[in-house]
Amino acid sequence: MRPGAFSIGAPISMTTKSLHLRIGIAAILGAAFLAAVAIPNYVSSPSNVGNIILSPVFWPYVLAGLTGIVGFGLVLTAVFSDLTVFDPRDEIAIPVGHAPWLRLAALAVIMGLVMVGLPRLGMVWTCMLAFVACAFLFRTRHPIAALVCAVVVPLLLYAFFAHVAGVAIPQGNFVRLP
Amino acid sequence: MSLMDSLAAGFALVGNVEAFFMLFCGLVIGVIGGAIPGLSATMAVALTLPFTFSMAPINGILLLLGVYKGGIFGGSIPAILIKTPGTPASSATILDGYPMAERGEAGRALGMALYASCTADAVSNLALILFAGWLASFALNFGPPEFFALILFSLTIIAGVSGESLLRGALSALAGLLLATIGLDLVYGTNRFTFGDPNMMGGLNFIAVLIGLFAIPEIIAMAWNPVAHLGKTRALGKSKVTLADYIGSFKSILRGSMIGVFLGSIPGIGAAPSAFLSYSEARRTSKNKDNFGKGEIEGVAASEAGNNGVAGATLIPLLALGVPGDVITAIIIGAFMVHGLQPGPMMFILNVDIIYGLFIGLIVSSVFLLIVGSVAIRGFRFVADVPKRLLMPAVLVLCIYGVFAVNNNIFDVGVMFAMGWVGYLMMRHRIPAAPFLIAFILGPLLEDNFRQSMLMSGSDPSILMRGPITWFFWTLTFITVFAITRSTLRKRVPLS
Repeated sequence: MRPGAFSIGAPISMTTKSLHLRIGIAAILGAAFLAAVAIPNYVSSPSNVGNIILSPVFWPYVLAGLTGIVGFGLVLTAVFSDLTVFDPRDEIAIPVGHAPWLRLAALAVIMGLVMVGLPRLGMVWTCMLAFVACAFLFRTRHPIAALVCAVVVPLLLYAFFAHVAGVAIPQGNFVRLP
Repeated sequence: MSLMDSLAAGFALVGNVEAFFMLFCGLVIGVIGGAIPGLSATMAVALTLPFTFSMAPINGILLLLGVYKGGIFGGSIPAILIKTPGTPASSATILDGYPMAERGEAGRALGMALYASCTADAVSNLALILFAGWLASFALNFGPPEFFALILFSLTIIAGVSGESLLRGALSALAGLLLATIGLDLVYGTNRFTFGDPNMMGGLNFIAVLIGLFAIPEIIAMAWNPVAHLGKTRALGKSKVTLADYIGSFKSILRGSMIGVFLGSIPGIGAAPSAFLSYSEARRTSKNKDNFGKGEIEGVAASEAGNNGVAGATLIPLLALGVPGDVITAIIIGAFMVHGLQPGPMMFILNVDIIYGLFIGLIVSSVFLLIVGSVAIRGFRFVADVPKRLLMPAVLVLCIYGVFAVNNNIFDVGVMFAMGWVGYLMMRHRIPAAPFLIAFILGPLLEDNFRQSMLMSGSDPSILMRGPITWFFWTLTFITVFAITRSTLRKRVPLS
């Protein structure tokens, strides 16, 4: 099977049981992290708060506790169930090969570059480049139309937001638009 | 203010070409957005939201309501023509709509979908006008304990019915509540999870979170599988819906509208369950029940009436209580907030002109939907031909501009991207995003009402059950948890 092809019916999907197990463990770990690390270190509470219920840390602790309980519930449903039902949606969604993972990584890089480019190149130019990169990442069958849209769409949006809505669109350090 | 005064104030606000033009534009955008598989009504409303910032509040909200209503109907077009629901609410329409299209009766099915949608929309709007004011005047008696119990009930039902599993829904809601704690503490003003960054002190921007959750995951999904959207469009065929078809299905349309109104007015249930319930009731009572699933026009009418009956009714809890009924109204609440309006019982006193202006606009929207829908049915081929691999990059660019425009802050764009990946992970793990977003919106309100209650009572928790209203909501909450848990245990397969 070629890389990136999609396998239907291959035994590579998650069962609902393993899905619950994964989510449940993640929730328990998340709750433990919140209770042990995040809340004590990143939630400030004035020292003169006499009543714990009114303290700024009370609500996050309650939520962390409930998250742990729900995670525990998910693990319990996974452990005490003998069901290993494969969900057909997973079988369709999980591909064979590396290409989809590489495209996901490339999209993450594009998003990172957008964040870097916005204050330096300006929003219009960054968006033009992001448009082209995404269109080719998605394997467009209309490359010329993609290039035209990559120029026109950011310019039209700039015209609306900068001149109609009065938003100060970042212009960047190189080419400035009217 | 008397009813006539309120109506006059509403007319004064919307009695201009601009307001109706915005409503019309909204319907056009909504129908197109709903008709493009993968775009959905929710994404269409989310992407339109940034364009409303510079508008007068009533025009912006009418634009969004138009997108909402148009999107719900628009979803039925690809459901019938390419067997792919444009919105989840149109899933039931496939059952009989697509078999009709296969028989060459797509035009007839779409015509019936349009008439059923418009009828249900009108019934739903009427229910909104009749009940919202009454509920708002009742809600004026609510204090912090009552609001706490109400919000808790809403979150419970949203978590329970949004996805396939109560536990996954609850986890999603808890994550939303946790995210809402970021920022300065409501009472003491101390930092919570801000990590010393001034951008985090006001909390995460609501619009960045919602666009991140509902638009960016679709773009990421496109990177995962760029060819998932390809499908074959059926022709409209020559047969058209007749008056006899409409009259024959009228009972199912009316029943579906009522089901939509009832389920829509309960926060969290939304249009898809309403469409399926309406469909199954129509099948149960119809004399053509054997034809259901094989291309029965009454089935199309029932499911479309069910999902459009929700559209006006979801605004009842939004306007009267300030609690969004579904994800789309959660986005619309953002438009209210951006314009400095707080939906809820006080809005019926302080901004009665906007309330009645919306009512008038909504009544007109049913007529506009008929016009826009008739054109859209014929023009669907052009919409279906929009290359999705060009559309998604355009959506990305639109998201970047729209989110930046809220606060002129690049940090918000980063929040949107981060939430996009969170939303994608949730999608992959079948954790519903709706409870997350609604909990994120209602989180500060829930905590605020809890702490106010504790301040009122000197930290005595019994205040949370202080009277019949709180008893009522607590009972509903327990019934909801019990009913969902019981139905989960009974199903057994798939697991919860």
